[in-house]
Parts: sequence; structure tokens; C-alpha cells
Amino acid sequence: MNNNLLHTPEGVRDIYGKEFSDMAYVEDKLGSRIDSFGYSRVQTPTFEFFDVFSKEVGTIPSKELYKFFDKENNTLVLRPDFTPSIARCAAKYFMESNEPLRFSYLGSAFTRTDSLQGKLSEATQLGAEFIGDPSVFADGEVIALAILSLKDVGLKDFRVSIGHIDYFKGLCEEAGIDEETELELRSLISGKNRFAATNLIEEKNILSPYREKLIAIADSFLDPYSLSKAKEDVTSERSIAAIQRLEMLYEVLRRYGVEEYVSFDLGMLSKYNYYTGVIFRVYTYGIGKPIVKGGRYDNLLKHFGKNAPAIGFGLQIDDILEALNSQGAELPEAEDSIMIIYNPLDIEEYGKALDKAQELRKQGKRVILNAKN
Amino acid sequence: MSNDRYLTFALGKGRLANKTMELLESIGITCEEMKDKESRKLIFVNEDLKLKFFLSKGPDVPTYVEYGAADIGVVGLDTIMEENRNVYEVLDLGFGKCRMCVCGPESARELLQHHERIRVASKYPRIAREYFYEKKHQTVDIIKLNGSVELGPIVNLTDVIVDIVETGSTLRENGLTVLEEIVPLSARMIVNPVSMQMENERIRDIVTRLKDKL
Repeated sequence: MNNNLLHTPEGVRDIYGKEFSDMAYVEDKLGSRIDSFGYSRVQTPTFEFFDVFSKEVGTIPSKELYKFFDKENNTLVLRPDFTPSIARCAAKYFMESNEPLRFSYLGSAFTRTDSLQGKLSEATQLGAEFIGDPSVFADGEVIALAILSLKDVGLKDFRVSIGHIDYFKGLCEEAGIDEETELELRSLISGKNRFAATNLIEEKNILSPYREKLIAIADSFLDPYSLSKAKEDVTSERSIAAIQRLEMLYEVLRRYGVEEYVSFDLGMLSKYNYYTGVIFRVYTYGIGKPIVKGGRYDNLLKHFGKNAPAIGFGLQIDDILEALNSQGAELPEAEDSIMIIYNPLDIEEYGKALDKAQELRKQGKRVILNAKN
Repeated sequence: MSNDRYLTFALGKGRLANKTMELLESIGITCEEMKDKESRKLIFVNEDLKLKFFLSKGPDVPTYVEYGAADIGVVGLDTIMEENRNVYEVLDLGFGKCRMCVCGPESARELLQHHERIRVASKYPRIAREYFYEKKHQTVDIIKLNGSVELGPIVNLTDVIVDIVETGSTLRENGLTVLEEIVPLSARMIVNPVSMQMENERIRDIVTRLKDKL
């Protein structure tokens, strides 16, 4: 036998047995919580035209996409991320509607990963998108939904860190920083690279007091009470509005009863221009990356011709499982199957065994019918 | 809650690790186990402060930190740039100072002026590629070598090299010279983004105290 036939390519794998049932359990728990908020499930195609995930839209660099061509030589892409697909779908079918739309999704997403880094190329993603409501209540709903879903699967000790991009942008505006420098600074600050940020700020002759304020963003981890202090430090209307939004958001989350999970990080700026307002990530012990990422993306749907604000979050089922495992969480075992043995040489006995099996199956039991050796 | 957890340090083997331990000692963080040169242990623990330390090859440090196998790492900026991992770079430790440079014989200087296609040998293919493609807009063939990169131009394998320069004496002895400086280097402290959130107080405390010492 050719043993090479048994291998799967790097980055993809078979999922079976306990792992499959664990994944199904997690998907089910998260999914039903999201359902309970009235989000309707959608399924978009596994591959789409490249433009849906182009640089202007997506967060995944073009070289990390799986691309191929159709008969007419259009470039197609295996979806790396659901949000642009959902945005396209919402724009297409609800172009005229001004009603708020709530969607959730579950499926595989594909990214080309560097080799030998132990990262998956195909991963199951789950998420929710809330389109058409610009308010802080929409922000609160989505973040609370993420928190409640994670609690449902039995995750403990996690923390939601929330930022607002406008705090930083307001400061940059006020300091008169050009766009290129702003992008560079943004990537340094989101990498908490305080001294490189300091160098850049000095190089560009950014004046006091903006200099100190911009540098301070890099490590501004705040509890909700110091938010108002941060507000006193700034004069830019945009920055103040950002903090007020976060304060209000905290109040909304308090009403949901999930405020204990919340902290603020004004230095959390996505490297990409995709997010436009509130941005959040969920962190937990036992896994070295955020397990949930989300935020507001008010300009994305415009790209598809529908002018609508939106906020959403997404997660990878594998990350949740990894976090649960490393926290020693017990996932329920799949129910055992009942085994009934029949004699293949005796059709009458087989009939009886079959009747019994059918009866038990009707009662909702799992029954395996096996021949005697 | 967080007090029961160990903070794990990954240190690049060699001089860097020794310097780092000296620095940590100056702020009261010690690890007696590590001083025992005979020890074959891979992980060293300070039970009182709930700290763990391990040594690894430099290029592996960002990997351990990215995956959260270590919360904090100390490694040269060259490695951080080459590995391009998703980690927070929080502190310039100031030691291990050197420069990443394009070097070659004086005659190669001309080749760097006209966007000509040239061959470059380096242990740092990513840094070399980024410098030539993004900064200089020059198309180059990069050949990865694993050591004694200076041989490249000497045996006519490549036109220039991209490598770390400390004193420049190896270069001089071989008739090579620094043609362009890419970036100054030194040892950096890196932190896993999740640890930075979950263990913020402990990590920030260490960073602040180190910063005061520097």
C-alpha cells in the first residue's frame, strides 16, 4: 500500500471521535446563545471573487489567500474570513432595507500559513454580525453576546479588553500628524513598541503635550474607573467622544451583568483600517493569542454599495477548545451507544434484534447493530 | 488568582542570557538554580517569586513567546525582525548593541546605486528582502547562508552580504567594508500579547523597574 496516500497536507487535518464531539458541543453551546439573541444563521459560499477580500476590504494580506481561477479567468478566493462575505450578502439582499440585521455564521475559513509554525490553514470559525445600528447599545449587545457565549461553554478566567480607535485618531488629528506617520505609529503602538513609537514621535518633531500623550497610549490599560481620568487628559473632541462612548458602553455592559469581565485598553489599535470605532478582544489563560476578536466596521458595507454601520465578532472553535482544555474544563462525553448482536445465519433472530434496535432508537437511544463473529 | 501562576522567561542562550540575569538581579529577581553550571536542567524555577526561566536558541525565543509557552522573552532585535512573530516589544535593554548592515568590497558600492539586480547572501533573508524591496526598491536574489556569511563576496558567490556588524574587524580582515547601515540593533524584551493583558500588573512592574535601572 502506498503510505503517502494516508497523509493530509500541512495545515489541514481529520477531526473525529472525542475531538469532533467536543467541537460540536462548543459550536452548539455558542450557537444556541447567539440564536437566543435572534441572530439568523447564514451560509455564504466557500469561495468568492477575489475583490470581496481585496486589500480595501479584508484584514488578511493577499499573499495569505488561497487563490485560483474560474473558467473566465476571474480570480477566486477560498474565504479567509466571514465578515466581508456577510457584508456582501447583507448588501445584496437587504440593499433597500433600513431595518437592523443580525446574522451568525459557522464554517471553515482558509489562510495560507507559514510552514512549520504549527498553525492551521483550515479552521472552523463562528461569529455574529449586527448590521444597521450605530448605537452603543449595539456595541453592548455584541460584546455581551460574546461574553455570555463563552460563559455558556464553561470558560472561566477570561477578560474582554475594549478600545476605541477614535481616541488615538483624535490625538493624531490634534497633533497634526500626517496619514503615513499615523499608520506607522498605529502599528508600533498596537505592538506596544513604546520606544520605537517614541523615536518616531521625536523624529517627526511632534510637540508636547501630544508627544507624551501619544506615547502613553501604548500602555494605557485601564479599569473602568480610570477612563474618566483619561478623558480629562485630552482636549480633542474626537478623543473625548471616544471615551464617552466607552463609558456608556461600560454602563450598558453593567446592565447585562457582565462588567466583571471588562477592561479597557486605549492602545488596542488594529493594524488595519478595517475597524472604525469600538474594538475588542477576549484573552484567557492557556492560549497565547486572543480567542475572540471583534469591533465596529462602519465603512465595510459601503464597499458593497450599502451604507450601513455594523459591529461583530468572530472566533475559532479550535482556540476555544484549546483554552478549555488547558483550563481543565470537563466537556460532556458523548452518550454511549448500545450494542445489539445478531446471528447473521438466522434471519428470525436478526428480525428480533432489529425490532429491539428500532424500538430503542425510537426512544432516542443510540443503537449499533453488529453481526456476531 | 494570578499569584499562583508562574511567569515564564525565555532567554536567548549565551551572553544575552547572562547579561539579562545580571540586570534582573539588580532589581531583585534572581535564580540560584541557574548559576549552577553543572546543572542539566532545562527549566529553572524561583519558587518565591513564582518565576520560571529557560534558555533556548535565539531564533526560538519569539516562537515560545508568540505561543505563550513563555510570557516574556529576551532576544536581539535582529531575531525579532527576522522571525516577525506576533509579540509585544516592550523594552530596549541597551546591551548587545550592534548594527545590521549591507557589507561588501568597496567595488560593490556602485551596485547599490542603480536598482540593479544583485545577489545578496545573508543569515537574515527576511530582513535583507525587506530592506532591498521595501526601502531601496532594488530587486535582489537572496541566498541564505548559515554562517561565515563574509565568504559570499570573497568566493564570488554573491555581490554583497547583509549581516550583523559589531566591531567590523572580521570585515576588515577580509577586505570588506560596511556599505549601508540597515538598522541599529540591541537586546529587547518581548511579551506575549495575552500575558500582557492577563498578567498586566506583574509584567508592568518588572518593565518599570528595569526601565529605572537602564
